Formats: sequence, structure tokens, C-alpha cells
Amino acid sequence: MTFRQFAFRNVIRNRRIYATFFISSVASVMVFFIYSMLMFHPRVEDEFLREIAFQGMFVAEVILVLFTLFFLFYSMRAFLEARSKEFGILLHLGMEKRQLNKLILFETMITGFAAIVVGIIFGYAFSKFFFMIVREILQIDSLPLYFSWKPFALTIVTFTSLYIIISFVSVMFIKDDNLVSLLRGYWHNEQIAKYSVWKGIAGLLLLAAAYGMAANINKEYLVVFVTLIPPFAMIGTYLFFTDSVPFILFQIRKHRKWYWHKYRIVSMAKISSVMRENSRMFFISCMVSTLAFLAIGILSSMSTFTHQYHQLNPLGLVYSSKLDNPYEKDHISGLIDELEDKGLSYHLYKFDVKRQTSSNTQKTVKILTQTDINRLALVFGYPVVSLKAGEAMFLPYSMDSIDELKRKKVTTVLQENSIPLSINKVYPKVLFSPTELGTNVIVVSDEDFRLIKEPMVGANAKQSTNHIFVFSVPEWTKTKDIGQNLDALMTEAYMTNHENDLPFYFENPGLDYSFIRSTFALLLFIGLLAAAVFFLASGSFIYFKLYAGLEEDKKQFDALRRMGITDKELRKIVNSQLIPQFFLPWGLAMLHSTFAFMALQVFWKGIADLSIIREIFLVLAAITCMQLCYFYLIRWRYLAHIRAI
Amino acid sequence: MSILKIQDVTKVYEGKVTHRAINQLSFEVEKGEFLAVMGPSGSGKTTLLNMISTIDTPTSGEIIINDIKPHDLKKNDLAYFRRRQLGFVFQDFNLLQMLTVEENIVLPLTLDDQDLETMQARVKDVARQLGIENILEKRPNEISGGQAQKTAIGRAIIHTPSLLLADEPTGNLDSNSSKDVLGLLGRINKQENTTIVMVTHDPIAASYCDRVLFIKDGEYFNEIYKDNHRQTFFQAILNVLSLLGGHVGDFSTVRLP
Repeated sequence: MTFRQFAFRNVIRNRRIYATFFISSVASVMVFFIYSMLMFHPRVEDEFLREIAFQGMFVAEVILVLFTLFFLFYSMRAFLEARSKEFGILLHLGMEKRQLNKLILFETMITGFAAIVVGIIFGYAFSKFFFMIVREILQIDSLPLYFSWKPFALTIVTFTSLYIIISFVSVMFIKDDNLVSLLRGYWHNEQIAKYSVWKGIAGLLLLAAAYGMAANINKEYLVVFVTLIPPFAMIGTYLFFTDSVPFILFQIRKHRKWYWHKYRIVSMAKISSVMRENSRMFFISCMVSTLAFLAIGILSSMSTFTHQYHQLNPLGLVYSSKLDNPYEKDHISGLIDELEDKGLSYHLYKFDVKRQTSSNTQKTVKILTQTDINRLALVFGYPVVSLKAGEAMFLPYSMDSIDELKRKKVTTVLQENSIPLSINKVYPKVLFSPTELGTNVIVVSDEDFRLIKEPMVGANAKQSTNHIFVFSVPEWTKTKDIGQNLDALMTEAYMTNHENDLPFYFENPGLDYSFIRSTFALLLFIGLLAAAVFFLASGSFIYFKLYAGLEEDKKQFDALRRMGITDKELRKIVNSQLIPQFFLPWGLAMLHSTFAFMALQVFWKGIADLSIIREIFLVLAAITCMQLCYFYLIRWRYLAHIRAI
Repeated sequence: MSILKIQDVTKVYEGKVTHRAINQLSFEVEKGEFLAVMGPSGSGKTTLLNMISTIDTPTSGEIIINDIKPHDLKKNDLAYFRRRQLGFVFQDFNLLQMLTVEENIVLPLTLDDQDLETMQARVKDVARQLGIENILEKRPNEISGGQAQKTAIGRAIIHTPSLLLADEPTGNLDSNSSKDVLGLLGRINKQENTTIVMVTHDPIAASYCDRVLFIKDGEYFNEIYKDNHRQTFFQAILNVLSLLGGHVGDFSTVRLP
């Protein structure tokens, strides 16, 4: 038997031990491969990758690799710890440490290569399915399966190097200088968790502070809060797992009346040892889960977002120009040409907006005519307006403002032309976004509009009146490529702070929408994949840990059984051992993201008046269900092992 | 009055190779008796003990403890039976590492949901009896083997079981601790009138008992009773062991006090 044969037989004949490691490796490879397939997809590259910077996608992938590395490393360590007795025997028989390293390298490479091959096969088989989902999310027409050497090469190279790194690093943790303890096998060195009361309290306080800030966030202190909350929450979470939980457990253990009660004494002890062993792992798991929740939650609000975005920006392209704008003709005909090239149908409306000062507020008010509004209303099927002379109507700029303006009744005079107006109605739909026309817009009757002749104070006649060109495009999500030259001019003006000198203003909701959506899509990829890998990783890690400590646990449960523990009590003890592992980081992550969403809600409203609570609730519920299934699966396996004498 | 009756008990392990671990074994243990069961490796001692501690069931025959047939009880009742009637001492102590010595000892009472005052009083009593009052706050990995086994004995007697079962209680201890632990078991047996059944390899340990029962290949082989002098009893045990024809390697090193 050669050395290589020995390694090979070790793997093949220990397949039951290797199975868990192998399966989770296969899953990681599979996820990575599917992701690379998407990354190198020819259609993805030219359709939306142009907007989501390629770096973004790359960052996502690096994050994925890091998670995989972390996960593989941890499972490898747990796995080697479980086999320490075997290594002890080999070293006892006179194997050199160098040979042992070689053996582990061989074994890892055998499992690793098998996992890479199987993972790629499964990944390729499932990628079409995955593409279908992505196509739905991104609303791309088609995302066909393709064949290219790139994703294969990337996966093989990445994972081969991962396995080499892991096997080299993890062997360093086998302590060959202490043969006796190796031979004795992996032993839970169950000491009391050392904790400091101060750190424990500090952890709780930091978390409370972060939550308090997140719940009371407002736009004035947004920057301060946003910079403070993440570090507070992070340090707080770390201290919570390392110090606060042991501190709380210790406090509970003082109360004997409660603590010395039935199996509670065993449960509590189990929980403390679980916490002690895994506090760092819990911390990382909690932070990653929070990130994943956030990404998924934001993404899941996409459908609401599309709908609401369109409601807030019902017009297609909007070109607003000052009267002295020399480029007006060129720009408009340019836009018409572009729309016709793309084969998009459109209606073009042109109307005037005049500016006056209101006597009531001494602020600028923008004025449109009833006829212009009615023309637009007919296109969208919105209600038409009929106003008498002296009457006016507010034009709302957001869904919230409709309710707000409904209650408002104002009598005012347009100072420059001394036209009295009584404004006591509000148009029931949003037509213009605040960036297009501002927030103080009214509609007047055609007669009154004609009476406005004097320009606004401090402005000449040309600046006081604007031409507005509205291209109403039914397929508004497809207009993102229209008017890119105008957009570039606008961006340049903004960058140099000359936006007020620009004689025109151009807004393309299609482009804005596609920007926002692509950014979210990127978040989704990071979120979903990180969540998928981490899901698997944390579940498998718990299983590895249980597996490593199985012999010891068996002995303990044997002692407990002889002491007369019922089956129900046994199950409850196992529950108390498993539930914190599964649900404590998860639950805290849930709490974190709930507060994060609360904060986001405020931030979000500032952008576009969106409420995303329902979607987020659904996503969190779905994730919890999945976690619950995982929990029952692992508990079932564990109980089966424990019960077998 | 006999507290434990073993009647024609047979245990057969089915499997690829059918193995008859215990064959038609019968004996009785009187209340307050200290019995040692000896036999070579593979003679079925541990199987027998597992059956008495009700975590294994005999293939045929009956085991009666305190006039109850535990193997006829329902699963839950069986667990309650174990937690009230039986105490168990293991070779490798099997203390729960994450509990303190005190918590380990009190465990059977908490499982039975006794009130706190009773539990605290009992722990104090037992700890004094065992002489481990000063280590109550320590963890199992901070105490010596002898102290650990004393803790385990405390755990086994705190609920005043009618039957105390011990599986090689001195197997992992040095000679001094062994002497301590055996003396302790003897004292508990005399003072509390606790019935003890101990499985052992060690003739010295067996010489502390009232009676030694020898089994070989799962069958009754012989039994001898204690006489006045422990040295001669020890010699008698050695004589039977040599008759038993086990291999020398089966016996742990003979350690004379």
C-alpha cells in the first residue's frame, strides 16, 4: 500500500465521515459556479453590467470566496478535531508531522477535486433554472444557457487554491507535541466562559444605543446617526456574544429556585457551553445574516418600487427649457430622432409654466393652465379639471402631499399681476416629480393664465416663463438610452456647480429607474449568494461541531439516561442546546435588520415615499421558515445519533 | 428480603453474528447487601449491569427490583423508576463537565423536581458524608479523580435509591483513591443500609464486599461470602479467579495496600 493509496482508502472507506464535508463543499462550489456563469454571461455583460460597474460584481464574488474560505476552514478544523484520535494513533506509530501534513493534503485534494467536479456538474445543470429566476428579477428578455471555458476555469482555479490553502493552514492546528491529548480524542474543555461584567453591560448598552438611534433617526442628524450606528451595532454584537450572554446566564444561574428545576439545570449548562465555544462564530454569523436580510429585504421591495416609481413619475421624458435657451430646437429634435430609432411610441406635449410670487407665503409659485393639465389627464385617464376665473388648484408632488394639500385652503394674490386666487382643491394624482417642477405648483384657469403678463420680481420675462416638453412614453422603462448627451451635460454642470446657468433641465425617469434597479440587483446578488452560502455554512458548521463532540455527548446522555431522564426531557435538553445555535444569531440579526429597516424607512421616504414593511415581513418569514426546516433536520439526525447506544 | 431478583435471564444480541451474552442466569440480592460481580472480559458483566439499570432489556427471563418488574413499565414510568430507585456510578465518572460539583450531585433531585430547601439540605448532608464540602463550587476538570468519583457517588446516593449500581468504580483511580472510594461505598452500605451491586475486575475492590458472584461466559460460575478477615477473603477471591481460567491479562494489576 503506497502512501497515496492509504490516503485514498482513508477517504473512500470513511465516506460517512467525509460525506458532510463533501456535501457542503459541493454546495459551495455549485453556488460559486452558478455565480461565475452569470458573471461571464454574454448577455449580462452587455445588458446591465455596463451600468452596475464590473467592479461591483467582482466585489460580490470576492465576498463570496471569503465566506467560502471561512466556512471551509472552520468545517475543516472541526473535522480534523473529530479525527484527532486517528492522527494520534498515526503519530504514535511513528508518522512524521510532515507525512501527516501530506496525508491531510492528499485527502483534502481528493475530496476537494471530487467536490469541484460534482459541484460544477450540478451547477451547470441548475444554472438554467437560476438564469430563469434572475431573468425575472432583472426583467431581461432572455438569458439563454451558454458554454464558455471561463466560468469553469475560474471555479477550478479558485477552489483548488482554496483547498490547498485550507489544508496547509488547518494542519497547523494539530498539536503533535501533545500526543496523549490527541489520543484521548477531541475533548470539550468545558470551562466557565471568562467574561467581564463591564464588557457585558457595555455590549448591552451599545446595542440599546444603536437601536435607539435607528428608531429615532431623522434627516437632520442622518449623517451622524449613519456613521455611528454600524460601529455601535457591530461592537455591541461582538460584546453581546462574548460577554453579555455569559453575564446574563451567570445571573440566571444565581437564582437557584428557578435554575434548580427539572432538566433546566442541564439545559442552562448546555447553553453556556455552546455559547462559550461558539461566540465568535455567532458574531460573524449574526453580522452576515443581518447584511443578507437587508439586501434581500430591499430587493424584495422592488416590485412595489417599480409600481410606485411610475406613479410618482408618470410622465416619460421631461425637458424643461428657459425662454432664452438656444439649443431647444436641436435638443427636442434630437430626442425625437432617438425615440424613433428605438421604435418607441410617444406623445409630445409642450406647455408653458409661469412663475409668480404668492402674497400668502412670499414664495415663488409655478403656474400651469387648466388646458395643459387636461391634455395630460386625458392620456393617463386621470380626471379632468374645470376651473373658473379666480379659482386655482394645487398640483401634488408626492402621494403624501395629496393628503396634506387636501386640507389646505388658501386665498392669495399673485403679486406681480395682482390676480386674486382662491386655492381650495388638489389634483388627485401625481403628474410631476418634485425635481421636475418643484413643490409649489398650482393650476389656474386659462383666463387667469393669460392675465399673467408681468414677469416675476427679480427676473426678466425670459427667465420667468419656461417651456416644458413632455414625451409621454408608455414603455417608459425602456427609455434609459434616450438623451444620454443631455444627461452628460447635466451631470457636468452639477459637478462644476453651474446647474443654474444651464438653460435647460432634462429628466429621464427610465434612466434613473434603471440606475436604481441595477444597484439593487447587485445588492440582490451579493445578498442572495452570501445568504445561500452562509445558510449552508452555519448549518453545516453546527452539524460538524455536534459531530466532533458526539462521543462526549453520547457519554453524557448515557449518564443522564441512567439517571432516569425521559425521552421528552432528552428532546428538550437537545432543543436547548440546538436552538441558541440556530436562532440566537439569527434572532439578533432579525432584530438588527428590523431596526435597520426602521431607519431605512425614514431614509427611503426621503427618496420616494415608499413603504416596504409588508415585503420585508414576508422575506423575513420565509427565511425563518427555511431556518426552521434546517433546525428540524439537524435535530432529527442528532437525536438519532444520541439515542443509539 | 431480596431487593433484586434475577430469574433465568438470557440476553442474545442478534446481528451478523448472534452472540449470547447472558445465559440462564439467576441470583438474588438481599436488602442492604454489598455484592460484587466478577468475571473475565466478555463474561457479560456489563450487559448484566445494563439490564439491571434498565437501559437494556433481557431477551428472556425476569428482573425484579423492589417487587417491580421495570421492563414491563412504560417508557416514561421507567425513566421515573430509574430516577427514584436507582443510583449509578461509572468507571469514568461521567460527570457533566459544565456543571459544578454541587450541581452534579443535586442533579437527580432537580430532575425529580424537588423543592429547593430539600435539595440544599440533601446536598449539604451528602457532601459532609463524602467529605467534599470544600470543592462544591469547583468544576469537574478542576478536581482529582478520587474527588470526581466521590462526586459521582454523591450524585448516585442523593436521592436515597433502593439500589446502587457501580461499574468498575475504581477502574480509573490510583490505589489511595480506590481505597477511599471503596471505604466510602462500604460505609454507605453499612450506615444507610443501601444495597450495592458492583461490577469489578479488581480483586481488592471485590474484597470490600459481602459477597462475590463470579460469572463466566454469561453463566453463573461460583459465589463466595465474606469471612471475618479481608485478607483471607481476598485470597479466596484470587483462588476462584485462577479457577475461572481467565487470562492473566484480564486482571488489573494487583495492588496491595
